[in-house]
Amino acid sequence: MACQAIDIKAYALNEVSPAERNEAELHLKTCAECREEFVRLEFVQSALMTGLREEEPPRRIAFVSDKVFEPTWWQRFWASGSRVGFAGAGLLSTAILVHAFTRPPTIIQQAPPVPAAAVAQVSEQEIQKRIDAAVLKAVARIESKQDLNVQQVLAAAEKKYDMERQALALVVDQNQLLQMENRKMYVQSAGLVKQ
Amino acid sequence: MIFREVEDRDLISKARKGDVEAYNLLVSRWERRVFNYLLRLTNGRREDAQDLSQDVFLKAYQNLGKLDDPAKFAGWLFRIAHNEAYSMLRKNRPDDAEITFDPVTADASLGSGGRMFPVELSLAVQRALERLNPDQREAVLLKVYQGFKFEEMAEILEIPVSTVKSRLYTALDLLKTTLTPLSTR
Repeated sequence: MACQAIDIKAYALNEVSPAERNEAELHLKTCAECREEFVRLEFVQSALMTGLREEEPPRRIAFVSDKVFEPTWWQRFWASGSRVGFAGAGLLSTAILVHAFTRPPTIIQQAPPVPAAAVAQVSEQEIQKRIDAAVLKAVARIESKQDLNVQQVLAAAEKKYDMERQALALVVDQNQLLQMENRKMYVQSAGLVKQ
Repeated sequence: MIFREVEDRDLISKARKGDVEAYNLLVSRWERRVFNYLLRLTNGRREDAQDLSQDVFLKAYQNLGKLDDPAKFAGWLFRIAHNEAYSMLRKNRPDDAEITFDPVTADASLGSGGRMFPVELSLAVQRALERLNPDQREAVLLKVYQGFKFEEMAEILEIPVSTVKSRLYTALDLLKTTLTPLSTR
């Protein structure tokens, strides 16, 4: 049994703060009882991890699309990338309507001629803005598709690695069983020779 | 682990919006751990563990909106698993065989010369775990096999941290007497 100077179990379970860890390590240098207890606890944890191997589930779990779980059309649209454009267009429309209904009455008079260059410039700016927005939207869509592909590839690679690791573990087990059998035969044959 | 936590957060976010494929990817990452946890809780009954695993992930999907912090997904998922397992065990209680303690096979630490071969070790560990009561066994499963911290275990089991420590420490003392070779007792 360990002395009560430190919580040796918390230390063995890695549930101590850095200060407590330092204190425990210093204490272990001088207390043989606690050192022995720590070795036993480490052994127990190691035995538990080695003795119980993880098993594969008999069947993979996967869900299929079901209308019960699908978001409404509004939720899907709002989650999509075009909501930014929609929001901008909505704001613009609202601004236009508000201005149309609230502007003061104007006296009709001949409007001063608008310079042709200014009209052309405004049109070009609007066109450029629309082009930029469309390009951004397309890029965002492609990037999100690529992310999903990468995730799928990673998941497939992990599955394959897991299967290979299990196959290797099985081979190791079988090898160890054979070694055990060999030892038994050796002991038995040693017994026969003595006789 | 940090990389995976960021990825899980993205998948959770997408799944909340109805992306079933994102959720399936999340499930593929966690189903093995959840299955093995449930397998130990149901005393090795694979079909029960499989059924429970499906229920757990279905319930998780339906309640993803209630998960406040995606970083706590693991603890939240295992709390669902714990609750589902205990619901099933309570329903099946009349059919459950009592765990009996056989003194002849109890001392599983002896091997030839004090060393234990892997197959014997596996049997010894199983027997040692069977000696614990269900609460102690679950504490060991969550701490040693799933790697949760005391605070996380307290949330999963909905008990104080002090109770978690008490169960776990008692379990370790029992496991020590069962697993460590006579020479080191």
